Amino acid sequence: MATSVTRRAAMRASLVAVAAPAVLRHARGEAPIKIGMPLALTGPAAEIGEQMRHGAEFWAKTVNAKGGLLGRPIELHVEDTTGDPATCVRKAQLVVERDGCHLLFGMVLSSEALAVVPKLAEWNAIFVSSDNGDGRLTGSSFVPNFFRANISGPMETRVISLWLRRGEMKNFYAIGMDYAWGHNSIDVFKDEVAKAKKNFVGAVFSPIGTKDFSTYITKIRQAGADACFIVMQGADNNAFLSQAREYRLADKVQLVTSIVDLNSIHAVGDAALGLAGSTRYVFTIDNLANKAFVEAWRKEYGTEPDVFEGEQWQACQILQAGIEKAQSTDTDKLRAALETAAVDSIKGKAAIRACDHQAVQGGYMVKVVKKEGFKTPIPEIIAAYPGDEITPACRQMTFES
Amino acid sequence: MNFSRGLAAAACVLALAPAALPPYAMTLLTEALILGLFAMSLDLMVGYTRLLSFGHAAAYGLGAYTCGNLLLHTGMPLLFAVPLAALFSGIVAIGVAWVCTLASGVSFSMLTLAFAQLFYAVAFKWTTVTGASDGLAGIPRSPGPFGIAIFAGKAGFYYLVLACLLGSLLFCRMLVHSPFGEVLRGIRENEAKTLSLGYNTRRYKIAVVAIAFALGGLAGALYAPFAGFANTELLFWLFSGQVLIMVIVGGAGTLVGPIIGAAFFMLVSNLLSSWTDSWALFFGLIFIGFVLFAPQGIWGLLSGTGRAEGRERVRWRFLKSTS
Repeated sequence: MATSVTRRAAMRASLVAVAAPAVLRHARGEAPIKIGMPLALTGPAAEIGEQMRHGAEFWAKTVNAKGGLLGRPIELHVEDTTGDPATCVRKAQLVVERDGCHLLFGMVLSSEALAVVPKLAEWNAIFVSSDNGDGRLTGSSFVPNFFRANISGPMETRVISLWLRRGEMKNFYAIGMDYAWGHNSIDVFKDEVAKAKKNFVGAVFSPIGTKDFSTYITKIRQAGADACFIVMQGADNNAFLSQAREYRLADKVQLVTSIVDLNSIHAVGDAALGLAGSTRYVFTIDNLANKAFVEAWRKEYGTEPDVFEGEQWQACQILQAGIEKAQSTDTDKLRAALETAAVDSIKGKAAIRACDHQAVQGGYMVKVVKKEGFKTPIPEIIAAYPGDEITPACRQMTFES
Repeated sequence: MNFSRGLAAAACVLALAPAALPPYAMTLLTEALILGLFAMSLDLMVGYTRLLSFGHAAAYGLGAYTCGNLLLHTGMPLLFAVPLAALFSGIVAIGVAWVCTLASGVSFSMLTLAFAQLFYAVAFKWTTVTGASDGLAGIPRSPGPFGIAIFAGKAGFYYLVLACLLGSLLFCRMLVHSPFGEVLRGIRENEAKTLSLGYNTRRYKIAVVAIAFALGGLAGALYAPFAGFANTELLFWLFSGQVLIMVIVGGAGTLVGPIIGAAFFMLVSNLLSSWTDSWALFFGLIFIGFVLFAPQGIWGLLSGTGRAEGRERVRWRFLKSTS
């Protein structure tokens, strides 16, 4: 109860803080740019929802401090979806119809995004995803009003498979969360393993919100694989990694995860050492834009930005580039502008392609190591892959070779 | 007649709603009417036959998944898919009821719960049909036949829901005032006596469960194209509990009461949830208040059937049904 009250209070406060320069707006008569953000702020995916909120709030604050976008202040309308697709559709409809938002961020789970995208045309709204992984969103479920600024599930899986091709490991097992993203990523992984002429020995799926992974860990141990590919996030990921440590799973198989994030590392501590995986964003990326971003973030929050905070920031940059190019937030004009939007972002170059609205961008492979100056282990980049190597062909989820 | 005049007035007001209400209020109102239809269908069982079901979500879920699949995969027009899904739900219910009515009282309630959870478990695993935890997304409001497309729009779809609700209400009213309804009431008040009068009460119970499921399925079938989405939440026991609350808060055994109960539930849960995360706690207190102090429900309070005698009877009925 106490936490939820503070969260709500914080949400309201954030809306006020973000909208504060709106005082200027009235003086100049400029309408705010309203962005709806249905997010899982309670439930197993809450941690990711919070990160996305931070990322967007930080961007809104930065933009508003400079006088807004096109002279208009950014206004975020955050709603809690609890991570349930049905609630998410309802909350998205709420921000569109009640609050008049025709721009959407948020939707933590791919299953939520898949439920929402068929409605975008009816709502005349554009949704810029900062985290939805499921390949179908830019494939079979593609709609013109959807844009994916983040790296997709097939792309992060591709990063891992390219990295694994170099190694000696032969047999692979996989564990994923039992919903859209988990299934999609593991399907792609299976396909990649076959192309590399190695063995995929099996997979297991855990329902969202699983707390006890002992039976799953036993299955992984018994599978006799050299490596286990993990497709998990949020509370489930933390629970799995903590239990994997207790069962000394890493002694037996190399754990390779699709998203290495700081939150999980903080949760499991030194047990994360040696964990390899792809990451969508890591604060150790070496470029000027990222250094400036991390610096500003530290000043604001006193910590390093995590995966989804960085990804959200990039999504915001892409939306901003689109709005500046279109000089408007009108849905048709903005859609046309976003189709060719490109930014030099904190992850390097990211450019939307018109054919499926996926942002082509580089992928990173990291390993968790101990580094001086940091209390907990941090992800260090061990390989980087350019966008054209890891992005599938238009509207495809698997790769040619 | 008082009822028909009231109904006509309510229908007129509701028919004018799209002209006056903003889009979001229309969305809420449409959903409230769908839930109203769902609650009313349960009232046939709970209020008229004293068959307390803890698994009515099964009807809604069956209707929603059937309609969703028909619209997604067959290209069937909305106007055909909805009644077909309702019919399917009713047919499945015959089997469910055949098993459940082997027991009575609490055992009956537990069996209904068991069936609903069984459907829930199946829906969770049968990915090709139900989409498992991802659900069915992008359910269209397919036009036709003869290119009739007005139901695809917001207002058009609202009128379709309104027509289904009013039609079902008239049908249920006719039903409960028919000789069939008399037998149901007989079962409610004293099943042994009804049986000894020569009525095969089990057949009547199976029939009323089938009708309730068909109408509950109709509500679910409307929900799928309304939300454009269906997932396992629609089959979950929590939803069965919520619809029971709608019936009791609105006024069991009145048909109109549960519709009001559903609207009340939606309104209050919307208001409370925008104010606190623990809205269910406060709604629980409201529910306890109704059970203790106004067991005849909102409709009973409004229509003045809250006379001491009626109140005693309703309370007795409720306590007996839950004991």
